[in-house]
Amino acid sequence: MISEVSVLYFAKGAELTGLKSETVKLPSELTTLQLWQELEGRHPKLSVIREQVVLAVRQEYVALGDQSVSLRDGDEVAVIPPLSGG
Amino acid sequence: MEEVLQLKGQIKEKERELVILRKKLAQLEKLSDFPTDDLLDKITPLAPVTPKTSLTNEDIMRFSRQLLLPELGVKGQLKLSKTSVLVVGCGGLGCPLAQYLAAAGIGRLGLLDHDEVELSNLHRQVLHSERTQGQPKSHSAAQAIRRLNSTVQCVPYHLQLSSENALQLIQQYDIVADCSDNVPTRYLVNDACVLSGKPLVSASALRMEGQLTVYNYNGGPCYRCLYPVPPPPETVTNCSDGGVLGVVPGIMGCLQALEVLKIASGQGSSYGQQLLMFDGQGSRFRSIRLRPKQAGCAVCGENPTVTQLQDYETFCGSAATDKCRRLNLLSKEQRITVQDYKSIVDSSTPHILLDVRPQVEVDICHLPSSLNIPLASLEQRKAEHIHLLRERISDLKQQLDAQSQVPVYVVCKQGNDSQKAVQILEKMSGPEVDCVSVRDICGGLMAWAQKIEPSFPQY
Repeated sequence: MISEVSVLYFAKGAELTGLKSETVKLPSELTTLQLWQELEGRHPKLSVIREQVVLAVRQEYVALGDQSVSLRDGDEVAVIPPLSGG
Repeated sequence: MEEVLQLKGQIKEKERELVILRKKLAQLEKLSDFPTDDLLDKITPLAPVTPKTSLTNEDIMRFSRQLLLPELGVKGQLKLSKTSVLVVGCGGLGCPLAQYLAAAGIGRLGLLDHDEVELSNLHRQVLHSERTQGQPKSHSAAQAIRRLNSTVQCVPYHLQLSSENALQLIQQYDIVADCSDNVPTRYLVNDACVLSGKPLVSASALRMEGQLTVYNYNGGPCYRCLYPVPPPPETVTNCSDGGVLGVVPGIMGCLQALEVLKIASGQGSSYGQQLLMFDGQGSRFRSIRLRPKQAGCAVCGENPTVTQLQDYETFCGSAATDKCRRLNLLSKEQRITVQDYKSIVDSSTPHILLDVRPQVEVDICHLPSSLNIPLASLEQRKAEHIHLLRERISDLKQQLDAQSQVPVYVVCKQGNDSQKAVQILEKMSGPEVDCVSVRDICGGLMAWAQKIEPSFPQY
């Protein structure tokens, strides 16, 4: 099963991908680590923020690991690196 | 005739220099007359804020519009009046935060910043003014706060927060607001808050985006629970490089003030395990539910490894400032000074001046006859730009004798990106473009403005 989700890129994420958002077809059932790897596969430059990124699915933080996540059509995935300016 | 023109030109140049020198002098004179007696450069123990048992008639009048809120009321107002808040950084976030806390009647405000007010701060750091340029920000902010509400106790600290002073300072306050502009300070403030058990209302902003979370509050996560590993320094963009629209930190600082007031008055914050994100371009707020406090956290976990403050600049691999780092990627032979470049221009030696800044910065200012190819385009080998470079090189080659290599001088704002560009061009020289000799102009256009052409804009 494939789901079409909307991926939002914030701060450094937008700078590295050159995108603020995109619609992506992804497996409906995958682990959070696989989800990140899918995004990193599309945009290899994202690898530099992997250790700090807040990855959110339906506005909820997911830790990168082997816990599974179900994606439905229209779900929002957000890539949020921390900002430190002020 | 030519000599007359040249002399006129030189006189004009000297006149411009005089204007700049006079401005500098006036600024220094102003700096030496401001009173420094109440400015703390070290931390001394403060007496606790005297708790008020009732409001005066003047208090009732001043705070009447907020006293009418059942969520605050007299009880909440009295709580505000005995709360002390440490503001770490009196910049784009700290200014509006301190302003609203003072206006709302907070008891004591510690205002910490080690910087001085600069003209480029004024578009966002709204407590400072043209008149306080050159003064310590903590002092400038305290003056503005006193004009707004003289009953608030202001304690300005003109110092850099460090592992040596942070605990002693933070212990004296009830709530800490992180309004800093760099990663090492964010880890330092977090650890000091965890070790002294204080809630940390933290916000940040860059370009048109902002973030806010309350850490170490009501059993929620700390900054390290969320970001156990600091980011590689080269992935961190600061406001002086990336820019920021002033109202964005303004919005985030106001939201930070709101959370501080809710905590201080006993209403509690809703951002203990939430990340509020503001996207100023899309005019959208999003709230992300974060992970809870981590049992394995190095500072707030069950078996902490951080039990005292560390060296945070070493931990993060970067300095506790938002000023630009100076890269040193090249050998002496690969670089020239702005003075050397000036004599190349003066002697009309044929060369290419390659400006590798992004277009938006070239629009601010540039040297005449420079070729603009942003560093990112070189990195990605953008075809149109590489074509342009090839063309320029072969044009120049025709003017030179066949054996000599075309000299290319690379410039950017401060001389960091230009060094990266030299490395790229050296790889391209031969296989991708005609052989060139590439050199970096040390210190970039800002060094040019400071040492060669005082009328060239600085940003």
